[in-house]
Amino acid sequence: MQRKTSIPLEVLRYGAIFLVLGFFVFPIFWMVLTSFKPESAIMVSPPRFLFTPTLDNYYHAIVDKNFFFYIKNTLIISVISTAIVVFIGSLAAYSFARYNVGDGHILFFILSTKMMPAIAVILPYFLIFRDVGKTAVGKALHLGLDQHGALIVSYVMFNLPFAIWLLVSFFQDIPRSLEHSARLDGLSRLQVLRKVTFPLAAPGIAVTAVFTLIFCWNEFLFAYILTRKLASTVTVGVESFFTLQGILWGPVAAAATISVAPMLVFVLVMQRYMVRGLTFGAVRG
Amino acid sequence: MYALVDVHKRYGLRTVALRRLNLEIRTGEFFVLYGPAGAGKSTILNLLAGLTKPTTGDVRRNGQSIVHVPPERRDAAMAFENYALYSHLSVAENLAFPLRAAGLPKAEIETRVNRIAGVLGIPHVLHRRPGFLSGGQRQRVALGRAIIRPADIYLLDEPIGHLDAKLRHRMRAELKALAVEMKATIVFTTTSSKEALALADRIGILNAGRLEQVGTPAELYNAPANTFVASFIGDPPMSFLSVTARPDDMAAALYTADGQRIGTAPASAVGLTGLQVGIRSNAIQMVEPGAAGTLAGRVEVVEHLGHSNIAVISTGKDELQVSTEAEIRLRPGETVGLQIDPAKLHLFSGGAAFADAAPARNVA
Repeated sequence: MQRKTSIPLEVLRYGAIFLVLGFFVFPIFWMVLTSFKPESAIMVSPPRFLFTPTLDNYYHAIVDKNFFFYIKNTLIISVISTAIVVFIGSLAAYSFARYNVGDGHILFFILSTKMMPAIAVILPYFLIFRDVGKTAVGKALHLGLDQHGALIVSYVMFNLPFAIWLLVSFFQDIPRSLEHSARLDGLSRLQVLRKVTFPLAAPGIAVTAVFTLIFCWNEFLFAYILTRKLASTVTVGVESFFTLQGILWGPVAAAATISVAPMLVFVLVMQRYMVRGLTFGAVRG
Repeated sequence: MYALVDVHKRYGLRTVALRRLNLEIRTGEFFVLYGPAGAGKSTILNLLAGLTKPTTGDVRRNGQSIVHVPPERRDAAMAFENYALYSHLSVAENLAFPLRAAGLPKAEIETRVNRIAGVLGIPHVLHRRPGFLSGGQRQRVALGRAIIRPADIYLLDEPIGHLDAKLRHRMRAELKALAVEMKATIVFTTTSSKEALALADRIGILNAGRLEQVGTPAELYNAPANTFVASFIGDPPMSFLSVTARPDDMAAALYTADGQRIGTAPASAVGLTGLQVGIRSNAIQMVEPGAAGTLAGRVEVVEHLGHSNIAVISTGKDELQVSTEAEIRLRPGETVGLQIDPAKLHLFSGGAAFADAAPARNVA
């Protein structure tokens, strides 16, 4: 789109963009900056932008506190939770979209479970996982307290409703005649799902995966209550820098920087699939 | 050979798409389903494709029921009215889709895709996604994807309805040639009388879920079974005049409401009410007003078609469509005389074609 605008207007436009961008990016910038500061430069006023950078904070977080252990836990829990959510979510959403299972009532019921505040169920969850962890099945699936399975189940429970709800609209946008056509072209029901329906729903699935993964990655309450040491995630790990001697801001910033990085990469990769344009032109226009 | 036997199709509780329908589609014929929107044309295609099942009744192939055969095992190819192109694939991949599903070798697929793209005039858009094509191009891709592979039956749902007039004319010829070459069984739906007459070996006329008449284009044109068929086949459509039959020498004579005698009928027509004569626009001659044995009418509307004009002429109670030569200039409001060829009348009684030996149940 070629449009002629006056120079002052253009300046104003970019000014506004930088203002908004600064507002959102500054905290991240400040976090990264702090992670390289020597302790003496962190909590000073006025804030210092020029200092001799140090890797001490990273050394402390990674070596002393073994922060990669938390990253590993988080990665295991988030990725498995997201995979389960996307898998169950897309199958459920497909059947809601195509067969209108439950006439809309079941779909609404599922969404309504999302309205329950997490804090209201955390105690029952704690008790349930404590007891389930002692059973044979619970042991096999690592469902006990301070085990990965417990967090995965909790995260799936909390993300599935929204994921289904989000995906239903994506599936509804895919014309039924596309599936009919693929059937006549010789594909079975399942092949149609694999070769036509899911590829067309890819943007929706990508969006759902991003939302779910970010939620799991950032979740604190469940991780804090349901884990102690072995299955602790990054959010809990960062919290452990809040010691009796005071808050270790430098290592906190370093740990936070490390834990944000994978998410950043993931979202950038997924962005390509999140373009709605993929379904453009499926229907007569 | 395909057959729909006593097929009743209902969607939900209220919507009846097809009512007790019996239809045979012969091997190798070009069968056109023709009717207004919502008549049930697409439902018949879906039944033949296996995309829906009849509520009651049977769908058969060569005498065997195929109701429970899933679409992928029916060997049917279909072009959808809304195109149903795979928007995540390029045009070439769309065309190749049924061939890949069938497991053809790559080189063979490429040859066939290029050939069909040439026939359809779309080789320059093969690498594009369907979203970036015009409506006409998309429709050609949809048609191409259906006819690219050999199939037992081709189901084409208004496949050229959205093309511009010139292209439609060309595609009509291409389709006809293709059908002859492939010796394929084709079921084609359309809402255009011209398309139906030009393409079909046989036409089935559908109206509100009922088959009104099945026959060759000539049969339907020359001997329509009822006024619906008569008014639907041919362009311009047949016009109707209400008449009464009075006894005449040997048989009966037909008189218009103004008492003008316009033709003869078998004696059994005498006394029937609801008689109408159907007249094709080319069976009416325009003459000087007031001449003996002619109808008087007032010109209402004149459509200029280039090679001829179609004039809508009111006789007071009825309206007649008359085709005239382009040189004859008519003005709305003008009074003209109409000479109707008595040999070219179609007599209808209570909406159905009048048959001499018809039982008296047609009497209202």
